[in-house]
Amino acid sequence: MDLKDLRKKAEVDFKTNGFPTTKEELWRFTDVSRVAGAEFSNDWKISDLEFQPLDKITVVFENGKLSREKSNFEDLPTGVCIGSVLDLVDPRIGTLADAQSAFVAANTAYFGDGAFIEVTEGVEMDTPIHLVYLADVDGAAFHMRNFISAGKGAAVTVIEEYIGLAGATYWTNVVTEAFVADGGLVDHYKVQRESESAYHFQTLEANLGTGSVFSNHAVTLGGALGRNDIRGKLIGEEGEAICNGLYLLKDKQLFDTHIFMDHAVPKCNSHELYKGILDDKARAVFCGRILVQKDAQETDAIQSNGNLLLSRGAKVNTLPQLEIYADDVKCTHGATIGEMDDVALYYLQTRGIDPVQGHAMLTFAFANEVLDEVKCKPAKRYIEELVHDWLHKVAK
Amino acid sequence: MALLEIKDLHASVADKPILKGINLTIKPGEVHAIMGPNGSGKSTLSNVLAGNEAYTKTGGQVLFDGIDIDDLAAHERARAGMFLAFQYPVEIAGISNMYFLKAAVNAVREYQGKDQLDAMDFLDLIEEKKKVVKIRDDLLERAVNSGFSGGEKKRNEIFQMAMLEPKLGILDETDSGLDIDALRIVSDGVNALRSPDRGFLVITHYQRLLDYIVPDHVHVLVHGQIVKSGGKELALELENEGYNTWVDEKGA
Ligand SMILES: Nc1ncnc2c1ncn2[C@@H]1O[C@H](COP(=O)(O)OP(=O)(O)OP(=O)(O)O)[C@@H](O)[C@H]1O
Ligand SMILES: [Mg+2]
Repeated sequence: MDLKDLRKKAEVDFKTNGFPTTKEELWRFTDVSRVAGAEFSNDWKISDLEFQPLDKITVVFENGKLSREKSNFEDLPTGVCIGSVLDLVDPRIGTLADAQSAFVAANTAYFGDGAFIEVTEGVEMDTPIHLVYLADVDGAAFHMRNFISAGKGAAVTVIEEYIGLAGATYWTNVVTEAFVADGGLVDHYKVQRESESAYHFQTLEANLGTGSVFSNHAVTLGGALGRNDIRGKLIGEEGEAICNGLYLLKDKQLFDTHIFMDHAVPKCNSHELYKGILDDKARAVFCGRILVQKDAQETDAIQSNGNLLLSRGAKVNTLPQLEIYADDVKCTHGATIGEMDDVALYYLQTRGIDPVQGHAMLTFAFANEVLDEVKCKPAKRYIEELVHDWLHKVAK
Repeated sequence: MALLEIKDLHASVADKPILKGINLTIKPGEVHAIMGPNGSGKSTLSNVLAGNEAYTKTGGQVLFDGIDIDDLAAHERARAGMFLAFQYPVEIAGISNMYFLKAAVNAVREYQGKDQLDAMDFLDLIEEKKKVVKIRDDLLERAVNSGFSGGEKKRNEIFQMAMLEPKLGILDETDSGLDIDALRIVSDGVNALRSPDRGFLVITHYQRLLDYIVPDHVHVLVHGQIVKSGGKELALELENEGYNTWVDEKGA
């Protein structure tokens, strides 16, 4: 089916099936009726929001549309192609994203723009590509479609950053499909700092060839209601998928992470390290499903999810799901939900560190394990800054 | 003026009275040792002094450097110059020892109205203090006490004390867990820190430590009270005779 037909079918599917309800297993803890019940416009305007370019290459979407004026991706090395997904074509677009998902269907039907990134065989791109999505139209829906392709032995770093206007209510619905060919590397980051009233949903799907690496770090700070659906398909031997994340939630934010690691072939690794810090009445859902298929011998899969609750009203549902059909595998998972360690706080205090600073040090230390894994330097510095700012805001 | 003046101190933990009227005065320059059976309240005393909120002071008064400690939270006591070397140092994942020490040193310096140390000055201070208490570099790089051996933790406590240069050092069983060489290094470190304006309260079960860190006064704490005080020879007496006299009397 070509993309045009795919989009028509998706529209029919979405109109017929609508949004999921909490009766569905995958949406048990996340009620999206607020999104389902809202009316969204297609209004557009030039964005007044500012952003901080992380490196030389930025691709800016303002209120759902690529802005060539604000972007900077002119002088690219040979073998690197960046542009709008509306202008550039690849038959693989739409083949990876889970068509069963209502959010994917809505996106496929209605996407209005998105980034197209292709790095051809053997090209190693040093400069990270910073995708910036600015949203400051109250009441709008932004369906963004991103396509990332790394050819054989190619390497690319992509940072998706979502920025919203404080107080604005809108719906961001993203689908990112990443294809990593044999021996390729995609180092992917997502920084979500939408408005505290916004709805943000993303489906991120990666296809991993033989000996390839896909790494994703998802940092979530914004949104009233949001979810990341991340799926890694390990279809070539010795592939490695890294899915790390940090969610920092306060007030009545609800954020859901669903990860599905599909080990289809032998000798692949998948590592998931997720940490959450929750204040006030925030809620988090973490569901990490690891499927090790019959042929996927010598699989090494690790999953851990740690949560730190800063208030009694905060809540986490964490659900590991291992489905293992091969016999020679190493799979471990662990989940913790804890409170601030008063003994550690006291220890810091006896060294002259006041409780506010001590609190910030300990919460940062908790998050730091995830930051330690970030390879891209500018991304790391920026994320650290965001985490510090957030901790400063919640310091009591 | 006394450095520490404890008057009729009562304290309880989890509503259980532990300290039942402690009187103790430490003058600048003095080293006092406290010995006593397990569970007699030695760590409770050090925690009450350091400001652990899990412990409740139920009566009496404690003046540190002339200030009533009731008016000071734990970090303020530390900044005012009190230091507790923990019997069980706390492991803190994710914070390197260096970062932790820098935050501590600068917190104390801020209180003292001194400039914050930058990275270079801080490293110089580390090098200087390593001469007082030898410590391996990798322990400084690692997360605070995380996965440290028992002895390494104790040594780290004394290194921190050297860095913070307190007026009063409270050492709660710093000797337990140290091997013979480490005991010597740590004791030498403490002795190097002895000065006419600095005092120490050394809690220990063993005479051996007091051979190295020679106390001016020794007190025996039993059932939350000081039942006997004397000179350094009292420690030897205890080593030979134990606490039977007092423990039996109380029927414990
Ligand atoms: N959090 C607590 N809850 C209940 N009881 C406690 C608590 N902390 C201490 N205690 C009790 O208080 C008493 C005194 O304890 P403390 O730690 O002060 O003894 P100690 O003299 O330091 O003993 P040791 O020589 O074994 O270190 C003990 O009986 C102990 O069980
Ligand atoms: Mg004790």
